Amino acid sequence: MDLKKTVVPEERASQRPLLDIRGLRVEYHTDEEVVYAVNGLDLTIGKGESVGLVGETGAGKTTTALSVLRLIASPPGKIMGGQIWFEGEDLLQAKPRRLREIRGSKISVIFQDPMTSLNPVYSVGDQIAEVIHQHEKCSREEGRKKAGDMLEMVGIPRARYSEYPHQFSGGMKQRVVIAMSLACSPELLLADEPTTALDVTIQAQVLELMSNLKEELGTSLLLITHDLGVVAQVCDRVAIMYGGEIVESGTIAEVFDHPHHPYTIGLFGSIPTLDETVDKLKPIQGQMPDPTILPEGCAFAPRCPYASEVCQHTKPETVCVGGGHQVRCLAHQGAFQSPELMEEVRRGR
Amino acid sequence: MTNEKNRKKSQVAAIWRRLRKNKMAVLGLVILSLIILLAVFADLLFDYETLVIQQSAALRLKPPSAEHWLGTDEVGRDILARIVHGARISLPVAFVTIAAATVIGGLLGAISGYGSRQLDNIIMRIMDVFLAIPSILLSIALVAALGTSMTNMILAISISNIPPFARIVRSAVMTIKNEEYIEAARAIGASDARIIVKHILPNCMAPIIVQATLSIAGSILAIASLSFIGLGISPPTPEWGSMLSTGRQFFRAAWWVCAFPGFAIMLTILSLNLLGDGLRDALDPKLKT
Repeated sequence: MDLKKTVVPEERASQRPLLDIRGLRVEYHTDEEVVYAVNGLDLTIGKGESVGLVGETGAGKTTTALSVLRLIASPPGKIMGGQIWFEGEDLLQAKPRRLREIRGSKISVIFQDPMTSLNPVYSVGDQIAEVIHQHEKCSREEGRKKAGDMLEMVGIPRARYSEYPHQFSGGMKQRVVIAMSLACSPELLLADEPTTALDVTIQAQVLELMSNLKEELGTSLLLITHDLGVVAQVCDRVAIMYGGEIVESGTIAEVFDHPHHPYTIGLFGSIPTLDETVDKLKPIQGQMPDPTILPEGCAFAPRCPYASEVCQHTKPETVCVGGGHQVRCLAHQGAFQSPELMEEVRRGR
Repeated sequence: MTNEKNRKKSQVAAIWRRLRKNKMAVLGLVILSLIILLAVFADLLFDYETLVIQQSAALRLKPPSAEHWLGTDEVGRDILARIVHGARISLPVAFVTIAAATVIGGLLGAISGYGSRQLDNIIMRIMDVFLAIPSILLSIALVAALGTSMTNMILAISISNIPPFARIVRSAVMTIKNEEYIEAARAIGASDARIIVKHILPNCMAPIIVQATLSIAGSILAIASLSFIGLGISPPTPEWGSMLSTGRQFFRAAWWVCAFPGFAIMLTILSLNLLGDGLRDALDPKLKT
């Protein structure tokens, strides 16, 4: 598709990325309308790397993650185009049988709500063992032993193997879900807002656990969240998503210190800082664009304080602004001059 | 804490422990066991030829007495003996028909609820056709078409019991399949068949068990009705339903001819319902204490 888009961070350029999403388009078709959830998304994740995917509700984060495993409910969901390369294989072309082999063993998912992602009629240990039996040839005893090991790894005593999900607290359930998703040592872990349903203390524990396990097992991670703080704590790189596409991506240092895209700047602007007293937070004005209408120009233009006439009609392209730092903005592309934006970028945070 | 090897056994033990706590369920189990035991040892208790089949004009319509505990019927046969021997027909037939209907109806319902919309439409419209015909009429038609025999009667009652099961299981499956843990199961690479059998059906057990216990009652009555119009068990073979219907005309003069077979049916159904209720609670891990 677009040549500029398959850029890999320099130090990894020699290596092929583990996951390479190119030009992904996903739509939801209902009788009344078509929702354009993901519109030409490009994203790469290297081996052992963790990438944060940040964006507000409805930006298409979950849809992206589910597309990787082809778990989009169809109908109404439909993957309209693009490629998802994983270990030299396009997952969008893969046969159902092959997909089942990959799910859970090479790529696994942690869902948003741990309260509902465990089956209430099986003991937690058996549910972990199920993943193992699904993908590895081993005896019942080995499966049980391994599932027990996984429980201990996430800090749950083996003795609770035969207990049922309702006997666990929310944080512990999420640990079980993590144990389940890591049971077959997958190459890639897709974590879809793994801490949203948890309170802050448990959230910290779960995040720490995830980072530690990731280090230990060398798993790559795609962390979907709307919490920039979480991303800073866990990830190497971050991608900011808006209206179904990535508007800015780069290493944590690049994006957090010098956000380039007006949306990213707005996101950081809306977070209160510790050393300043403010009466009111500065939210980004306006609403997410209606996902049933594909914008002609830049998706963020209607809310962008720096937008010019061009932004309404021209689609921005991804440009590199140094290192692996990429931005999708017409101002940075040089389509128009915006001294205010440049001033804002130079100041950084 | 738990011995790994004994775990499967201990799960059964846990269900049993929970069931035992439920007094009503235990009562149901005791009554049902008694009835089954009586049926199993019927030949030892009452001689089939002399007490159940042989008619005697002298003993016509005798009220309950020390000799005939539950009295005798219009041709002088001992009612207790006939009830006990009747259980050997009514119970197995009822269990077999409902077991068949549960399995077939459950699978059809699960496929229909989980599969594509077209498949759902095809299966459910066929079920609707069956539901539209009164089940007793359907049984009569089937038995009349296939000929009168025990097998055909079992077949007919099973078939007429399939649609309600398919409907109930389908609606339960449709609720469960949208749960996040089903998506999670798909995300670990489970196949559709595995998801239906291992993840969805165990979560639909409660309505299935209730429907099954209630249907056994209906099945016993269906056997009775078919026997009554001469399409089921033919006399002189003792059967609760046919005893009930032949005794009907003597009800004013000799209440016991009708009352006791009816009581037997009621007791069986009651015990099944109590047991079914208890079983449903015992199988639900959420109520575990």
